[in-house]
Amino acid sequence: MALSAESIPMRWPAGPLDIALGEKTKGFTADTAAVLRSWQDPASLAVVQGTPINCLVVSWSADAAQQQALKPLIEAGKKAGLEFVGLIQGEGDKAAAVAAAQAAGLAAVAMEGDAPANAGVPVIPWNKASQVRSSAKSPVTGVADGVFPGLPQGATPQGGPTNLPWVDSNGAILQIARALAPDKTVWVGFDPAPGAKLAAEAYELAVADSGSHGARWVISLEDGLRADLLAKKQPAADTFKKLIDTVTFFEQHKELRTYQPNGLVAVISNFAAPNYDSAEEAINLMPRLRQPFRLIARARAAAASFAGLQAIYYLDKEAPDAALRKKLLAFASGGGTLLVPSNWPNPEGPPAPAEPYLLFSMRKVGKGRLGVCKEEKPDAYDTVADIQNIISHGKDLVRVYNAPSSNFLYATSAQGKQAVIHLLNYSRRGGDALFYVKEPYKSARVVSPELASAAELQFAPQEAGGAELTVPRISVYGVIELEN
Amino acid sequence: MRQDMTRRQLLVGAGTGVGALLARPAWSRAVTVPTGKVAVARCKTYGPELVTTLNTMFDQLGGLGGLVKGKTVTMKVNFIGVRWARLGNALMEETFWTHPKMIGGMVHLLGKAGAKRIRVVEGPWSTSESLEEVMLSMNWKPQEILSAADNVEFENTNYLGRGKKYSRFKVPGGGIIYPGYDLNHCYEDCDVFISNAKLKEHSATGVTLSMKNIYGTTPITIYGQDAGVDEPSIRPHGGRGNVFHFATRLPSKSAPQQLDMSMPKEAGFRLPRIISELNTARPAHLAIIDGIMTATGSETAGRGMAVKPGVLIAGTNTVATDAVGMTVMGFDPLTEKGKAPFARCDSTLAFGEQLGVGIRDLKKNEILGVNPADVVFSFAAIREKMGPPPGGGRRGGA
Repeated sequence: MALSAESIPMRWPAGPLDIALGEKTKGFTADTAAVLRSWQDPASLAVVQGTPINCLVVSWSADAAQQQALKPLIEAGKKAGLEFVGLIQGEGDKAAAVAAAQAAGLAAVAMEGDAPANAGVPVIPWNKASQVRSSAKSPVTGVADGVFPGLPQGATPQGGPTNLPWVDSNGAILQIARALAPDKTVWVGFDPAPGAKLAAEAYELAVADSGSHGARWVISLEDGLRADLLAKKQPAADTFKKLIDTVTFFEQHKELRTYQPNGLVAVISNFAAPNYDSAEEAINLMPRLRQPFRLIARARAAAASFAGLQAIYYLDKEAPDAALRKKLLAFASGGGTLLVPSNWPNPEGPPAPAEPYLLFSMRKVGKGRLGVCKEEKPDAYDTVADIQNIISHGKDLVRVYNAPSSNFLYATSAQGKQAVIHLLNYSRRGGDALFYVKEPYKSARVVSPELASAAELQFAPQEAGGAELTVPRISVYGVIELEN
Repeated sequence: MRQDMTRRQLLVGAGTGVGALLARPAWSRAVTVPTGKVAVARCKTYGPELVTTLNTMFDQLGGLGGLVKGKTVTMKVNFIGVRWARLGNALMEETFWTHPKMIGGMVHLLGKAGAKRIRVVEGPWSTSESLEEVMLSMNWKPQEILSAADNVEFENTNYLGRGKKYSRFKVPGGGIIYPGYDLNHCYEDCDVFISNAKLKEHSATGVTLSMKNIYGTTPITIYGQDAGVDEPSIRPHGGRGNVFHFATRLPSKSAPQQLDMSMPKEAGFRLPRIISELNTARPAHLAIIDGIMTATGSETAGRGMAVKPGVLIAGTNTVATDAVGMTVMGFDPLTEKGKAPFARCDSTLAFGEQLGVGIRDLKKNEILGVNPADVVFSFAAIREKMGPPPGGGRRGGA
């Protein structure tokens, strides 16, 4: 079985290589080593039997001991229809490791940096989010440094009566990866903290945080949970079942992956140094302003459609090439708002002092506006707050209320007849969420791994236009399906 | 300030001689602690009856014309808290915020009474967005307010806004906690100042009425959690809790500083004093409380329920008006700390009285229109059933 976009990965730490790596870390115990040994036993494959998981990601290297230790597992797994990906980490003879992977029948390897020339198996680029790249030979691209989603340590689910709490999410890095590699399936890697006793909902959120952004988490279980699964302890089985139910939900709703994020604002960047940090932070902060948005990779911007956009934030310090600049200015001249960094050369149009924004100086360009940032290194929050102020809430496509520790993602189908709003609750607390939608959709329902069946939602028309939808409490994840 | 002073000593000490120094509204005729006129009316909806009722109430108070004709008016409304947190699916204006019809109705009446310029102001939570934007995000129609009279404008007073510099308001008598406050220019560049509040309870101050509404005049750039250390920040970030509720940080050094850092760092102690100081430093000429629709239990979404007391209160003095407001809510305005709604905080009204803002005893004020006792909507009874709100100090907003 070859690696494909349908591969559903799970991290499978096992064997002497993981034990050796673990021994270098603080808190590694004999019990953990025993777990790693037991997971190299083919019997451990029973854990994933009957689940959608069809791809196990094992630690791999040129070290023969690891290869030999995993051989029975790999052979048994392949007979059971599983594919294996070898994760090559650190320095070492990568070419030899890749060759050994080919010889062992692995479907692919994943590694940081560039693939060795003439690799005999697909190589999944496995890089930090700031260095995401795609490989022609792999249908998958990886983001190695995801975060386990949820509320940061010490945060409150409400964040106080007068503010929203911060949440840890991979939304920004996954949207960036998808913008940079739109024809690839994005995998993201992150592990539970060692020793963390995570509730089932934490694992469900980890699946949903990635799945809602069109990506796949390389499922990674905490050592204690893995030990308990092999010991067939019921609480562990229940936790794993809930995780699998969420994975299954996304497999049953594959069409969601084809929907594209929608919004009135687009961010254009190369999403690489020296622009990456600003871009990631701005994209992290957009959800706090409850503003749906889309991302456009700079390299693809000249060919991208700007239809439906009200504003474009060209974020990069490097000026666009002539063709893209022309296209951006045409967008502004046609009535759009173009927001650019302070070093934008020779800003077009006369100043528009009647529009006093804190961070952007506005200029009149045709029927639209050009906003030039006043600061060389603006604060990311101030930037997105000013952008929100400039574009106005008057034409908001979606708003969400009463979901303080939740993020939402608005996406539409290619034809625009269907739309979805993914709702992710990072605290597992809260009540019914309330959504405002501007478009006159005919029907709405919410589906969720938490609900036995879809729940129809009623539109409450608003005096000033649009309608509101009350969504029953979602503990972790649900998606509102809207249809015209 | 010595820590071993009793509360009474503190009050008396702080209040000595303050009354005579107060800068009072132009139409107040009292010499020391002023009494007030307060009009009360039934008003069940925000429909056409609203403007008619308000008009009658202002006639009862002596007419708006004498106060605002040819004048610049600043009207502080109340948009408390995170706007994305509603009480169920109830609208913000039906629970915690001054209703747009109330704002529009007031603007209309002020314009009709001859106001030269009308500024609607507020410092909504942690944002530099214009008030139009805040209203649009609530699906309001700000244009209806802007067109309700000539020369109407909005200003977000969380920061410098359209001003060139902040305005210094000194607390007459020197203050208890702060000797003065730096505020957005709108609060100085006006002839008439109006507090247009909502009839609500408050987790840190018991009730939040026209006096507490003035707390929200303080700019986040100076008094917010991310305010500048030396000078005001350019942009407003965060809430006022760190500076005002708990004194875990200082305001920007450019502003008047706390008189004595050894004072208790509890919101229930600090806020009533700070609010009263603000009411003496920037007194309101007119106080209006929107009690047509509101919420019980708290000042923002949380516990509580949307209710329709169907009452409007307007007065010439914030203490007197709030005393009537408390009466309508089923509370005794003479209540001191230890009893609802001031179970865990001092009475803001008591401090207002001590600092010479006004008198909370209804018998000493002139009550017009409907008898407050006839329109009581007992928040107290609902509170009794629900139990006290959380805190006594851990929460709070404007």
